[in-house]
Amino acid sequence: MPQYRTLPKQNIWVQKKKVGNLKNNNEGKIMLVGNSKFEEAITIAKKGSHCGMCRFDFLGTGVCPSGKKHGFLAYWPQGRMQIFKSLMSGKVKPTKKLIEITTSCSLCGICDKQCNFATQLRPEKVAKALKEYTESLDESDFQNIPEDENLKGLREIVGPEWATNDPIIISSYIGSIISPEAGLNFYIVMPKDAEELSKVIKFANTNNLPFLPRSGGTLLSMAAPTVLSNAFGLEQGIVIDLLRMKKLEIDSKTQTATVGAGITAFDLQKEAHKQKLRANVAEAGAHVCSNIASTGILSTWGNKYGWSADNFIDVETVDDTGNIRRHSDLEIKNPYTTEYGFTNISLTPPAIVTQATVKLNPVFDDEEAVFVPFENIKDALTLSFKIAKRGMGFSNVILSRKYLAEFISPTQGIAEDFEYILEKYMKLNYVVDIICNKDEKKIIESMVEYTIDKSTLTSLVLGCPKLATLKESEFMKILSEEKDPLKALFAGPMKKHFEKALDATPENISKIYDKDLQEFFKKVYSKPEMTNIVWLHEYRIFPSRLMRQRMFLPMGGVIWTAYEKNLLDWITMFEEVGEKNKLIHALGFISPFDQGKFAVLEYDFYYDHNDTDAKKRVDKAIIESQEKSLEIDGILSALNFYFKGLYRKEHILFPIPKAISSDDLELFRELLTNIIGEG
Amino acid sequence: MHEKLDPEKDLKNVTTSLLGVVEHIPPDDSTMNFYLNIDHGHLIDFIVSSGDSYEKEATFVITGSYGTFRSILKGEINMTIALLKNRLKLKGNKINALRLMKPLDGVITSLREVTDEFEG
Repeated sequence: MPQYRTLPKQNIWVQKKKVGNLKNNNEGKIMLVGNSKFEEAITIAKKGSHCGMCRFDFLGTGVCPSGKKHGFLAYWPQGRMQIFKSLMSGKVKPTKKLIEITTSCSLCGICDKQCNFATQLRPEKVAKALKEYTESLDESDFQNIPEDENLKGLREIVGPEWATNDPIIISSYIGSIISPEAGLNFYIVMPKDAEELSKVIKFANTNNLPFLPRSGGTLLSMAAPTVLSNAFGLEQGIVIDLLRMKKLEIDSKTQTATVGAGITAFDLQKEAHKQKLRANVAEAGAHVCSNIASTGILSTWGNKYGWSADNFIDVETVDDTGNIRRHSDLEIKNPYTTEYGFTNISLTPPAIVTQATVKLNPVFDDEEAVFVPFENIKDALTLSFKIAKRGMGFSNVILSRKYLAEFISPTQGIAEDFEYILEKYMKLNYVVDIICNKDEKKIIESMVEYTIDKSTLTSLVLGCPKLATLKESEFMKILSEEKDPLKALFAGPMKKHFEKALDATPENISKIYDKDLQEFFKKVYSKPEMTNIVWLHEYRIFPSRLMRQRMFLPMGGVIWTAYEKNLLDWITMFEEVGEKNKLIHALGFISPFDQGKFAVLEYDFYYDHNDTDAKKRVDKAIIESQEKSLEIDGILSALNFYFKGLYRKEHILFPIPKAISSDDLELFRELLTNIIGEG
Repeated sequence: MHEKLDPEKDLKNVTTSLLGVVEHIPPDDSTMNFYLNIDHGHLIDFIVSSGDSYEKEATFVITGSYGTFRSILKGEINMTIALLKNRLKLKGNKINALRLMKPLDGVITSLREVTDEFEG
């Protein structure tokens, strides 16, 4: 049931200013009806998934000036959406901070451009509705939250501007680090460096306040709507927002970068590229330091560049007693090792990474992408692993047709049609996607019958809206009757007709956007990088599209490639669990690393995070697939490597895990129940 | 508390001992400890004293702040999550300690109903 504002007194603004009408629903709750702008804003706000793409400049627009100046999530577009949602649901009451938050927004429209690229949302409409709402409030509508002793102490450490107990600001963190079910008994603190963070932690311990760091927030936002919420989130205490730690220095001689905890993968990559260097990073909005601590930077480049402790030279950390350490300190206990086994589950990193010196890698002029399409996974695995074991390629991944369609397509509708065409007509279910040098490209091309070449890839990126319209076309029907549709399309006589039919131009793809954004997107898609497959793999701006208009929960983990049959069984298990729980589900990717000894697999369960029933089903799927993963030899499930990125991968992965005994499975069930409940 | 705990159902007939060290107790930031001794599912000792050690050796030592123990007793967080979030530090075998979590939940549930010095 919809839950809008519930407090009659708080509704005075609505009645006085005539911005909407009130109606009692059957549960005695007040619903706002008749104001289409507000209703639209609520719909947009509820779809917000905290992907974080509005906090860094990936389209050359600059970033939200308000967020850049004030820092707290409340001042960023994603925070405003969360605040509006919380106000309208009655979760939070207005404070005077709301005036500052809304007046700091100039409605410049940057957020609409950024968010529309990733998720098709228009956050500016929410910002306008929030402004209108705030302007309609009377003095008596604002609650006053006084500074308490804890806040006073925290402000003495970080300065008055960077610590708050304001409920409006706190509410902007709901859905990423604060569970939607938790109250608002929090402080938000933004220390500028490790020294301030150390003092905050010591203060927290002395005053018995639990704390948790937040960086990009994407991992937490994926967990927040699910049973993992309590396990990963904070129930009360201090949210430590690390965004202010913005140090970023590139040393081209040592090929390293020193990054603070507030630096995103995109920011680092952009700076590294100026020196013809490349970092191994997660998706564009992930913060490098927290990504090191959480999943250890698992990327498609892992076979060449490594995973977990392979990625950094040194890190500066602050532990849970407030001690500042560096891994290079001689007197510290071995920081690279961890207990082995299925019970070794961590729900927070062993320390907060405030700064990391990460390895960078040279970029070569002759790098290119090779895409090899496959109908079945077994053939795709054979090729991908063979290439990995020979040490070829910088990036090596098997992408599912779902990922290929979601990444390339600018809208959800186009992605669905694209995927349908890939499956039904082209019989393209997987792509072995390699970034390599010119010589390696020749070798790979000699290993297969055909590939998807650069001109076809460019056509697919710019021509996907047109491709979607070919869904029921004669062309596709003729294609599907070919003995080998992939060969006919990518290496046969149909190739040039196909590319021509896609009519792939920046102008054409821009037409799918709202009219007022079309000119902007025409320019965006005219940039060479938007069709440069190597660039897209490095900067990873497309994966956030997976979070458009609904959430997904990535499952999976690491498997030893010696257990290839088990890998196939693992995928089948996820398929069965997804089907049983009536979820949209699909393999995401499989990527080898460590010269093909291991592979990381991601399988995704998609669901509407506003649908209670869907959330329950995804909860069941999480629990069931976690248990069943442990019954297969050679697998380390994702839950067993979360927050272990600071360790050496060898300590996490060796020896080969065996399927657990029924006694251990019983223990694991208990453990899981204790962590996430019954589901 | 004794009467409320079923040796088989709640405490799984377990035999073990645990020393819990509670730090940062207001108002003077003091430390206290509690010692639990369970024999075949029967809670035979529950001793609360000041300081961070106890005269008897315990199989497990769990250390955490007053705030963490208060949250556990209030049911805001359970012991397993507190342990996996590093809010409780463990000395002793982790797997065995995790096996103990379910029985300890029974003890905690009973303690929740006891008015004691943790409340506040």
